[in-house]
Amino acid sequence: MAFCTGCSLLCDDIEVDFEGAKVKRTLNLCRKGRGHYDSLLVDRLAPAVDGSLVDIDEALSSAAEVLEGREKILLFGWGNSTLAAQKAGIELAKKLGSVIDDPSSYSQGLITEKVLKGELPTCTFDDVRNFADVSIFWGDDPSSSHPRHLSRFSYYPRGEKRQRGYEEDREAIVIDVRKSPTAQIAADGFFKISPGGDADFIEALMAALGGKIPKVEDKKRMLNLGTKLRKAKFGAIFTGLGLAHSLGGDLDAFFSLVGKLNELTRFSVIPTLGDYNTRGFNQTLFDEAGHVNSVSFKDGVDHGPEFGIAKYLDSCDAVMVVGSDPTAVLPAPLAKKLAGMPMVAVGTHRTLTTDGADVTVPIGVAGLEVGGTALRTDGVKVEFDAVVDSDYLPDVEVIERIMEAV
Amino acid sequence: MAGKKELTVVTYRGIFQEVEEALGMYSDGYRDQSALLELDGGDAKAMGLEDEKLILLETASGRVVVTAKVSEDPHPGIAFMPASPWSSQLLSGEVGEGGLMELKRFSATVTPTEGAVTSIEEIVERIRAA
Ligand code: SF4
Repeated sequence: MAFCTGCSLLCDDIEVDFEGAKVKRTLNLCRKGRGHYDSLLVDRLAPAVDGSLVDIDEALSSAAEVLEGREKILLFGWGNSTLAAQKAGIELAKKLGSVIDDPSSYSQGLITEKVLKGELPTCTFDDVRNFADVSIFWGDDPSSSHPRHLSRFSYYPRGEKRQRGYEEDREAIVIDVRKSPTAQIAADGFFKISPGGDADFIEALMAALGGKIPKVEDKKRMLNLGTKLRKAKFGAIFTGLGLAHSLGGDLDAFFSLVGKLNELTRFSVIPTLGDYNTRGFNQTLFDEAGHVNSVSFKDGVDHGPEFGIAKYLDSCDAVMVVGSDPTAVLPAPLAKKLAGMPMVAVGTHRTLTTDGADVTVPIGVAGLEVGGTALRTDGVKVEFDAVVDSDYLPDVEVIERIMEAV
Repeated sequence: MAGKKELTVVTYRGIFQEVEEALGMYSDGYRDQSALLELDGGDAKAMGLEDEKLILLETASGRVVVTAKVSEDPHPGIAFMPASPWSSQLLSGEVGEGGLMELKRFSATVTPTEGAVTSIEEIVERIRAA
């Protein structure tokens, strides 16, 4: 069996036949995963300095030169890196006295940090498959972003205490502004809210759970939802980017709701994180520094929003991006700032970020060309081997060699 | 009356876009799945727009031309756009009260237009321009 690192579900049941690096036959891969496998032959990153191709040794020494002597370096990305590379990245940040951050600083970092601190109840996907009778997808559309979420864990499968599966034993509730593919599956369980309406929805649901009349148009439906959640035996809430952004990063109301639900019954939270090992980076940095992102190792450990990429681009003097494409994601004014920086980009494929880098260093695709370990988005550790031959270096080796050279 | 409209735009990720992204961000397939805006039927009608027509999206941060898709479900005043380099061009980078940089939602002026969808090369050029 092979693994898929196409998303943070890290599916471990993939059957695949290759001819060289070309996929001949697969079983169990979703559409997105198939794209990930097929990408082995598309737009691969090459070692380059100032746009000219060089050999890998020169790319590595040039990468070190870009970073050397700088006072305020940002090491950014890490969600598409193995645990070993993430650890090495944190060591590199310490050696350079630099800042290290990942995309969770502008997405679900606050939720993940609460989970890691043990302040938000959580569980594994295996618990969900075996026991969950209510799955809530909040600002989250895994049918698009994590296509096998519902079929492997959260809705369709039969489990130990859920022998009759989704038809009778499991209910899906979707809270979203858009009738997403996941909302379409939930059908009557879809609660459409207005953009930014999550806080009002939480307030109404809190009222319904407390036996009060909720201040919403359809009071009966909200009261029914409150009753359903109160009666749930094992509830799971999967959070997406939509929730954190709708609340503008102030998640206290959501945390209170989860607290209230757990006074009444049992509800666990699993953030649906984007890159295959986002959870791994957050856990590794948390273990090392007590925070999941936005950490400076300049004088010991310092943490704060000023060390998140959104703010730190104003003051840093060089950037190393590893396995991420912030140029494509960041708002135009920030992407412009990033483009003006001396930059090293380490990655598997050509992206908008690698195209703007002074030095590019290619690495192998984890789980396909190189082995390693990672944490699934529910925190379960998985170990994968390479399944095709390749000359690409593993990410950990690239980071360690840069560390030796600086 | 046909013309421009101020709409709230909410970004999302689509499965077909995810597939095309894996297969290369410079591909036509990725552009076709990213450079689009899903409009409410009533809003589209008010602007004199049909499915597959081009629209100009403008904010204080930038402007892009994308393809209009008219939704079957009603969502007046709100439009949905795949999160991509096209939507990123329209974001301000401002950090909200709760400390999170806004990536999911913005207001934009939407105007029917002609010509061509903004290419990814043009976006890259704009980002690199000093
Ligand atoms: S759900 Fe994610 S990990 Fe599983 S096959 Fe699809 S892309 Fe790969």
